[in-house]
Formats: sequence, C-alpha cells, structure tokens
Amino acid sequence: MKRIVVAAIAVIGLTAPFVTQPRAQELPRRLGGENGPKKAAEVKRPAPRLADGTVDLSGIWTGGGDAPIPRLLGKDKLDALMMPWAKQKMASVKEADDPYFYCMPGGPLRITGGFAWRLVQPAGERAKYIFMLQEGNAHSFRQIFMDGRKHPDDPSPTWYGHSIGHWEGNTLVVDTIGLNDKFWLDSAGTPHTEKLHLIERYTRTDYNTLQRVVTIDDPGTFTKPFDVTYTAKLGDPDSEIIEYFCIENNQWGERTNANPTAPSLPVAR
Amino acid sequence: MKLGVLALGLALSGLAVPVSAHHSWTAEYDSKKPVTVKGVVSKVEWTNPHTHFYVDVTDASGKVTTWNFEMASTPALERGGWSRKTLPVGTQVTVEGFAGRSVAERAIVTAFKGPDGKEFFVPKLGN
Repeated sequence: MKRIVVAAIAVIGLTAPFVTQPRAQELPRRLGGENGPKKAAEVKRPAPRLADGTVDLSGIWTGGGDAPIPRLLGKDKLDALMMPWAKQKMASVKEADDPYFYCMPGGPLRITGGFAWRLVQPAGERAKYIFMLQEGNAHSFRQIFMDGRKHPDDPSPTWYGHSIGHWEGNTLVVDTIGLNDKFWLDSAGTPHTEKLHLIERYTRTDYNTLQRVVTIDDPGTFTKPFDVTYTAKLGDPDSEIIEYFCIENNQWGERTNANPTAPSLPVAR
Repeated sequence: MKLGVLALGLALSGLAVPVSAHHSWTAEYDSKKPVTVKGVVSKVEWTNPHTHFYVDVTDASGKVTTWNFEMASTPALERGGWSRKTLPVGTQVTVEGFAGRSVAERAIVTAFKGPDGKEFFVPKLGN
C-alpha cells in the first residue's frame, strides 16, 4: 500500500547514514535533457537563400535573447551607462516581481531559451511582413513590416512596439519604437522607458546560427546607446513550436503560499 | 517493511543549480530540503506554464496527504517524450524533488519513477 514517506529534511552539515544526492544537476546530462527543441545537426553550409537571392532566415530557432544585460556587458559597464534613477530602480527590484513570471509578455528583446520560436519570412509578393512566432513566454508574435513604411508619428506604446525592417546586404535590420515600459528588458530587471528604441541586426552567420546584435537606445534610461549580442541556434527540422499558454495554471506568486491541494486557476482538470 | 520512511535529506552546498526559463525554482522550493515520496497519482494537470502531478501518500495510520509536484511545461515534457497519459491517475510512483518553502507538500520534481522503477525523463527545473 501506499506508504509513505517522506521527507527528510536536512540541514547543511548533517551527517546522515544515507545520503541521497539531489539529482537536479545530473539529470539533464544523464538523460540528455534540453527543454527547448533539439538543435539541428551542425552542417557546414552557408545560410540558404530565397529564389530572389535574399538570405532566408526562416526556420525554427531556440535562444537568441536570454542572457541578462549585466552579464553580457559587465555590471560595471552597465552601471556606468545608467542614469541615477535607473540604477536605483534596478537595485530595488526583486526577482519575484518580474512581470514575466506573471505571464506578461517579455518585450522584443527577451527571447528565452527553453522555448522554440519560428521566423516566418514569406517570399515574392508576400514579402511585406516577417513574423516571429514565439512559443513562450506569452505565446505571442512579432510583426515586422518589410514594405518600406515608416513608423507612425506617435504610436501608442505596446509590449512589442512598432517594427519596420529592411535588408543591409545579408543582414536583416529591424527598427522598433512605440514600446511600453511595463516589461523588464531582461531577467535582471534592467529598466527602460517608453523612449526605448531598438535596432536589431540579424545575420545568419552559417546554416545553424543566427546572430542578433541589438543596439539599445533609450535616452530616458541610458546616457548613450550600446550594443548587446545574442545567438540563436537552429532547431531540428522535425521540431515544431508547441502551444503554451502561461496564464492557464500559473501557481507563481501568491499561490506559492496556498494550500497545495487548493485549486489554482479554473482550468479543466 | 512496510514502512515508510524512505527519505533522507541532505545537504547541498555549493552546487550550481540549473538556470530556469519560466522562473527561478529556488524562490519557491528549498534546495536544502530534498524529498522522496512514494504514492499514487491522484490528479494530473497537463497545463502551463508548468505541469502539476498530485500524488496521494498514505501513512501507516491511513492518513492521506496530497503532494503537489511541479514539473516543466507541456512543450518541454512533450519534447522529452511525455504525454498527459504517461503517468495517469492511479499510477504508483516514486518522486524525488525539493520541498516547497512555504508548504512542504508543494514540491518540485527532480526524478520520477513508475511502478516498476522505470525512470522517466525530467526536464531541467524551471521550464
């Protein structure tokens, strides 16, 4: 019968007769665990091209916007770029307050690993848009206008803003404004204002690799623009993006303190 | 032995923990409180951001305690070969994990074994 058992709880330094090593660290290696799509086999091939010669960035990708800015730049360097209010704000934020944990969109910069995303680059007459379809965290999309239009004069701020793109040689350049200040730029809580202007440069440096260099320009937060570089890797061609609605059963936050058997959100069980 | 105790905790010092994707599991769960629980799956929430497996554990006196075990997202589990039917309600399981900081019985999974001891893939914590 179902017996129990349980738990033990021990404290550092306790010498117990049996030692159960926590396994979190060994499992991914032993069982080959990656949470995102499997990566595509490495091939020594240049980036593919569409019939008209344009570099083809389409495909399923993983990663490309994960690392927090202080880690990419160095904390001192970021500190030197931040205005006093921003430094103060960043020092005061708590990880648990990250809007992302409450299933809010992460904004354009934050493409988190462990999820897949698909870049859709239509060809020919339909090449008016590029879409980035994101599995996580808010199961959303980015729409990039490729038809030469300009930004609106005074767009209402949104989570992903207004994005226009063009090609510079083999590099897709995406210019985004009209962003709200409700998301964090990264998991470290790097702040920003509605003056945020992002210039992303996507280059498929080889078949499996999409390099993403982003110029972060926010005169409300930083004393001058600066660049950060991310890298996305191509997913296995057999993998797909999978439905993921974070809001469905999020037990983060207040629910952490709830009775463990209490219903969470009214999901179908 | 009918008895129950299996577990034992341990100390972890200085081990690096995996980076999370949805959120940091160490905020909710205590890496100093490893647990091993043997019981019967009583509910499966095949949901996001994370799946939850509820496991009923009956002690020697017959008292049933329901544990809420959190696992990765459905995409992460599906990519690891799981479906919602992999360990259905009624399955005898042994689960290892870390206890919750506020409520011990709300725990996160690090290892999952079926009735025959077969071990199931457990994705990295946090996604």
